[in-house]
Amino acid sequence: MSTPPAPPSMIRSALARDKLGTFSLLHFSLTAATPLTVIAGGVVVMFAVAGQIGIPLGYIVIAACLWLFSVGYTTMARHITNAGAMYAFVSRGLGRIPGVAAAWVAATSYCALQASLYGLLGLTAQSVLERIGLDVPWWGAALVAWLLIGLLGTRAVDINAKVLAVLLSIEIAVILLFSVSNFLHPADGVSFAALSPSALGGEAAGAVLALAVIGFIGFEAPTVYGEEARDRRRTVARATLATIGILAVVYVASSWSIITAVGDGNIVSAAVGDPDLMFTLAGDQLGSAWGTIGEVLLLTSVTAAALSFHNTTARYLFALGREQVLPARLGRTSARACAPVAASVAQTAVGGVVIVIWAVFELDPLTHLFYYMGTAAGIGLIALITTCAIAVAVYFARDQRDEPVWNTRIAPLLACLALAGVMWLSVIHFHTLLGVEKGSLLPRLVPILFAALALLGAGWGAYLKQVKPEVYAGIGYGAQATLVQSAEPEETAEVAGGR
Amino acid sequence: MPEAPTPRLVYDALLITSHNDFYKPAVAPRVIGLGLGAALIAELVLSGHLDVWTREGSKLVCSDRGAPPPSDSLGLWLIELVRAEPANLAVPEWLEYLALVDIYAKTAEHMAVAGLMVRTQRRTRWRQRTQVAYEASDALTAQAPLARMRRYLTALDTRMSLVDTFLLALTEAVGLSRSLYLQTPARAREYAEAHVRALPAPLQTVRGHLAAAVATTALTGNL
Repeated sequence: MSTPPAPPSMIRSALARDKLGTFSLLHFSLTAATPLTVIAGGVVVMFAVAGQIGIPLGYIVIAACLWLFSVGYTTMARHITNAGAMYAFVSRGLGRIPGVAAAWVAATSYCALQASLYGLLGLTAQSVLERIGLDVPWWGAALVAWLLIGLLGTRAVDINAKVLAVLLSIEIAVILLFSVSNFLHPADGVSFAALSPSALGGEAAGAVLALAVIGFIGFEAPTVYGEEARDRRRTVARATLATIGILAVVYVASSWSIITAVGDGNIVSAAVGDPDLMFTLAGDQLGSAWGTIGEVLLLTSVTAAALSFHNTTARYLFALGREQVLPARLGRTSARACAPVAASVAQTAVGGVVIVIWAVFELDPLTHLFYYMGTAAGIGLIALITTCAIAVAVYFARDQRDEPVWNTRIAPLLACLALAGVMWLSVIHFHTLLGVEKGSLLPRLVPILFAALALLGAGWGAYLKQVKPEVYAGIGYGAQATLVQSAEPEETAEVAGGR
Repeated sequence: MPEAPTPRLVYDALLITSHNDFYKPAVAPRVIGLGLGAALIAELVLSGHLDVWTREGSKLVCSDRGAPPPSDSLGLWLIELVRAEPANLAVPEWLEYLALVDIYAKTAEHMAVAGLMVRTQRRTRWRQRTQVAYEASDALTAQAPLARMRRYLTALDTRMSLVDTFLLALTEAVGLSRSLYLQTPARAREYAEAHVRALPAPLQTVRGHLAAAVATTALTGNL
């Protein structure tokens, strides 16, 4: 005789009504991606640096890699706490010591990527202000933006999300308008050469793929809200997939449209000669006012990107502070806004120091700050995503947890291979990415620095295991770390004795 | 400054989390809800009406210690909700639910009846909606719970009661450590930690889940 179904829970029904749907999660992830910064600030540079037209294909390849990665990543996110942070996946898949190493690389990479945006931000603001007759040094404009971002970062994330949502809507509308206009004004008809496999190759392939990965950063945001999602099994996966899909369509269409408007044979030289190519095209085709509108929007977009990365970095530092892997002070919240205030202030301080150093030593904000620091951070993030992919594969290799074979075995394995390939190409072609000679010191120094950082992190993890087993037990648990740390001593010792 | 505590843990928790003055800000609305939920659960655990199965997923259950039903409607309301559930739910779910159903208004209404709060009502100018607000009837009474906590942390020579220890842990968990420890002796944190560590396991669990829920709120920005 079958047992009657249990009556529904009133409490769970009430809680379910308050959960986030796919669109809410999509909103969070797309606002973290800021597509205009990627296209106006990144795509034109990619044409110039790579010297080839395979950028749209590069975006398609990376979208496919990240889609494969997201299958296992979102599946694993259902089974772990602190699913918003990739180092948590590494902790649970590969162990706590690699987890701390990943955390250090992640925090440094996000921090560097955020600080690098102040270079582009300062220059864009300087250019916009010049149009209205104001002569402001790039670092002056960058410091104003830095102050604004620092203030918003210590407020509730909700306020930031509203600001970012408005900016995102305008950005996407303008990108689509410019792209349609480019397709309507082709130089030699619509060319499909940019989508040919031969368009992406040689010494620059790694550079294109690495820059393409940076454009998608933010795709992982839906997992942060996993526990607040309406259906943890489907909502997060759908939102992540939709983010990758939407960004891929926007990036492919806009980069392809620029090639179409300039012509296959001219695009590289045009990009080298004019970093504002996208706005120049818009100005020529739609009227000069549109070029100015585009530039103003780029300014708001880079501000939004800097704010978004500021929040991501602050979240990482906050979670690590809660776990006491970094100083516990970083885990403090502000009383009024319940924002990760100490972590946010720490990130603001780093950004401020970077701007001051670049201003005092008169370093180039575009090449030395935005480009060198941004691409170096990109290498760290690719390493982080690749390690996370390996962690997902290992986690499910130990226990499939009643999940489908595609999600736990096939997709994670393919993602590991694909991302390891991207990682390998990015590292060996890093000199192209930086625009320096093969064998120069800088392209070798960056991977070595990240490797050293990972080793130091691992060393710190090993130290915590020996000296502070209760802290070690909480690694990777983020907000829930105190619960693990305050567990019975024998439970903590058992956890610490394991991986 | 009045020394006498308000009669209940949940009342003290409301004054600590929601009263805003020069010395201490009010915390975010969701965090107030989480804090009051934790205080009400702790109150009913201390009175023997509820229990937390710490080793089985932190489930909140009605106690079988035979305590008579709570004499107040707030406690009775939660007990009946726990009883009505077809399966035992975990503490985090209860905290989330209590924050969602505006436990602040329910508690403040109780305190208004007890003369500790004053209820004010006004219509908004544009949308013509009625807004209800609660203010402490006496500013000194509103400051009393935090002042009491700080007195313990300054003197460092008195054994704190379980109720006050939980209140201290709650004050820290909702993000008011700065107001709590401002200008207290260097040993104050050590003194507080020793007391908090001695809390019974069910209260430790409630405190841990409250801290985790507040941290999650900070990470997601869901206020």
